[in-house]
Amino acid sequence: MLNIGRLARVSALLALLGTGQAFAATDTPATSSPQEIIAASCSGCHARDGEGRWFRISDQRKTPEGWQMTLVRMQITHKAQFIDPAGGDGDAALRTLVKYFADTQGLAPQERAPYSFILEQELNTIEEHDSEQFRSMCARCHTGARVLLQRRTEDEWRNLVHFHLGQFPTAEYQMMGRDRDWLGEALRDVVPDLAKKYPLQTDAWTQWQAAPKPALAGRWRVLGYMPGRGDFSGVMVTGAQDGDRYTVVFNGQFADGEALSGSGSAIVYTGYEWRGTLKIGDESYRQVMAASADGAELTGRMFQRDHDEWGLRMRAVRETPRSELLAVQPGFIAAGGESLLTLVGINLDGAADLGPGLKVLEEVSRSAGQILLRVAADDTAAVGVRAIRVGKSDLPDAITVYKGMDRLQVEPAFAVGRVGGDGGSQPVVQAIFDAIAWSNGADGEAGTQDDLRIGRVAANWSVAPWNEQATADQDVRFAGQMDKDDGVFTPAGAGPNPERKYQTNNAGNLKVIASVDRDGQTIQGDGHLIVTVQRWNNPPIR
Amino acid sequence: MCRHTRLYDRAARAGRVAMLTVLVATPLAGCADKGDASAQANAGPRDFLVVMNRPNKLNLVDLKQRKVVNSCDLPGDYGPGTVAMSPDKRTAYVLTNRFENIYGVDVDTCEIRFSARQSQGDERVKSIGSIAVSPDGKEVYTHQNPTRLLIDRYEVQDARVAVFDTSAGLEARPVRTFPAPRQITIMAVGKDGTLYMGGRDIYAMNMQTGATTVALASQSRNDPLESLRDSLTVWPVGDINDEMVRMYSAAQYKDASQDLASADWVWGFERVDLATGAVETKVFGPLEVVLFSGMARPSDPNQFYGVLTQLKKFDVAAQKELNSVDLEHSYYCINFSTDGSEVYLAGTFNDIAVYDADTLKKLGNIALQGGDMALANSRVFSRAL
Repeated sequence: MLNIGRLARVSALLALLGTGQAFAATDTPATSSPQEIIAASCSGCHARDGEGRWFRISDQRKTPEGWQMTLVRMQITHKAQFIDPAGGDGDAALRTLVKYFADTQGLAPQERAPYSFILEQELNTIEEHDSEQFRSMCARCHTGARVLLQRRTEDEWRNLVHFHLGQFPTAEYQMMGRDRDWLGEALRDVVPDLAKKYPLQTDAWTQWQAAPKPALAGRWRVLGYMPGRGDFSGVMVTGAQDGDRYTVVFNGQFADGEALSGSGSAIVYTGYEWRGTLKIGDESYRQVMAASADGAELTGRMFQRDHDEWGLRMRAVRETPRSELLAVQPGFIAAGGESLLTLVGINLDGAADLGPGLKVLEEVSRSAGQILLRVAADDTAAVGVRAIRVGKSDLPDAITVYKGMDRLQVEPAFAVGRVGGDGGSQPVVQAIFDAIAWSNGADGEAGTQDDLRIGRVAANWSVAPWNEQATADQDVRFAGQMDKDDGVFTPAGAGPNPERKYQTNNAGNLKVIASVDRDGQTIQGDGHLIVTVQRWNNPPIR
Repeated sequence: MCRHTRLYDRAARAGRVAMLTVLVATPLAGCADKGDASAQANAGPRDFLVVMNRPNKLNLVDLKQRKVVNSCDLPGDYGPGTVAMSPDKRTAYVLTNRFENIYGVDVDTCEIRFSARQSQGDERVKSIGSIAVSPDGKEVYTHQNPTRLLIDRYEVQDARVAVFDTSAGLEARPVRTFPAPRQITIMAVGKDGTLYMGGRDIYAMNMQTGATTVALASQSRNDPLESLRDSLTVWPVGDINDEMVRMYSAAQYKDASQDLASADWVWGFERVDLATGAVETKVFGPLEVVLFSGMARPSDPNQFYGVLTQLKKFDVAAQKELNSVDLEHSYYCINFSTDGSEVYLAGTFNDIAVYDADTLKKLGNIALQGGDMALANSRVFSRAL
């Protein structure tokens, strides 16, 4: 049962203890051991069995964010006080427990991988679930990922059902709750199913616990793509500190030269869960990444703390003495055209071989990490995806040669923006779109196997009513503004609008249209944008 | 008017019913805000309306004057604000304080004559809009959803109906409890004392023995030509018609193949005649927009009205919409004057809109002091001052 005043306090606390402060590597840990802190902080309610296992606590595994949400909930709802018996700070005691639980009762990399999107705050992701029952019983209120990023004993899954209905009694009254015996179905069907599919003990976890954990200090070549901004490359230098903490210096730029550079710190949970906090200009950024088992790569997303819709999907590749071509930006060239291409890599050495039909007109600049080339493609250059080689390093699928830009695809195909501001506690959530060009391929038909995805292109952007109702309600007028050059939609202010029919919110159901003029022809693509009301409760896993 | 507390958002416009989720409460201490009811000169019977709003006020509205004549500040937090009247129409029994407490309030003096904290010890009890008073006024009933808050876990308990003695004072405890189905919202009591409860079906409970039967099969109908019925209501209305009524939506299939694409989506109502116990279910019109509450016009049972962003009037026999007007904002809870001439729209914000029942022309607004009514229901009754 929600309560706004309470929620505001909860949100504030969650924000305070969110992916930022709880994960900041500069925060010192508590002096006492985790077991001492558990005994001092948790044992008032949680008993210990003869084997030293804590009731409830020891029967669950989850991500660092999952443990953080649990501990913060204990603090808010049950007034738990996190105590360092050695006299240290309570927040430090809490951070120590998050680290301890994530390390000792976390998820194996392959258990976490299918649901990375929710940790990375990729909130326009549309989940697909095999089971209609799971979707309506669990994933109608929060993501399915929130559930599937947990492992529990059967008793613990059962306790979770009791917690849900005890804490949120209207769950069984809501749509997809009141159409069934919700509690009966949850206890009879859902609990055994989750216990079978997502048990506490798994081979994956046992193996990961036994596996050596990579050290993650070093110099990393960064490749990325930010929706709304485009390709990115940079360098990240990480320095080891105590307790799986790292210093982070991040330097890079977008394809248009604009820099994205700053510094901060990171902490690694569970041996691979990289969580960074960076200051870049005036903005605070989070890094949520996973390290590969060999420590050669970090992949994930770096997003703005206060506007997580803005984020860089990134891959950081550890620099070694080996020469390695990692990316070509942009990854496309028109047959018969000319382009500036940036070859991004590590220790790039030797001539660039772009294959038949692509000719280097000029090497504009060269460094060990980057080669800038002016390239011409013959009219007759073979259309398709091809490899590029620099010296001894081959990069398969490096670039797409295309002939004719036939259509546009708007990405994401479906996005949610949220009204905000206007005196309310929640900021506007923007919706960010890219126009992706496609070629229909040799057969000239869209939707066939030889279609070529070209890449992100500049476009003219507009919005239109999605349907008749949106026309009648003047959604285009009220819901917000689309930047015609950038594809960024900024929703309007929050709250009932007296100028609108029914004084309703500035919600809207819009078609997003991207268009590009090519040789006198206009090609167009569209997507779907729902502008809706604020989210009041924004924990690290939604 | 609170901008952050609306249940209904544009999802509903897109054809989905907003869920019972947002229930807001603000702490409040305080007592009676004595009104001027006693100052009214006219002593003959007239229509009044009671309704609650934030922060935790019970309002008595003189409908003839279209004016709030008394407003009582109640202790604790708000929600849901469901109200049921005593037979003499002097005491309002309200469910509030985060769905947990019951107060029996003298609507003229604001004196709290009865109260019950349903949560006791390690058991937290929530009632979702379910409160009713026995015909003799001696008992008040709620449907309880208990959860035991154990030291390291919650344990959901079986749902039950609790019976309180209205003369038990300010720390009343149930005098009887009976096991009850889960997922109950609205309740009403028949003339013979039977308690009717709206849940997945409409159930009838004997309040002496607790014996419960299905009075009206709703989800358990098993009609091959109709989809599962959906009924969302926390607004007990209909008592001025001596009925318990709730709307449902369903798809009516063309044949046993149950093809949804060719099915007709309809609005219907389910009702219990509180005088006789007879039940009735009828389709009254096509499902074109979401409606939250509805009831028949007191003067003409063939005219059924529903409300959310529009006020709609249907001809039940013809299953046809007769008239529809857009409202200034959404209103959740409908009610009528006892003679059926006026419609009163409450819920959502903090004003009651008055419409002419014949023409659906707006006649005025009655402003409440304070915040949103949110999920509150209104009760209309006629009595002397």
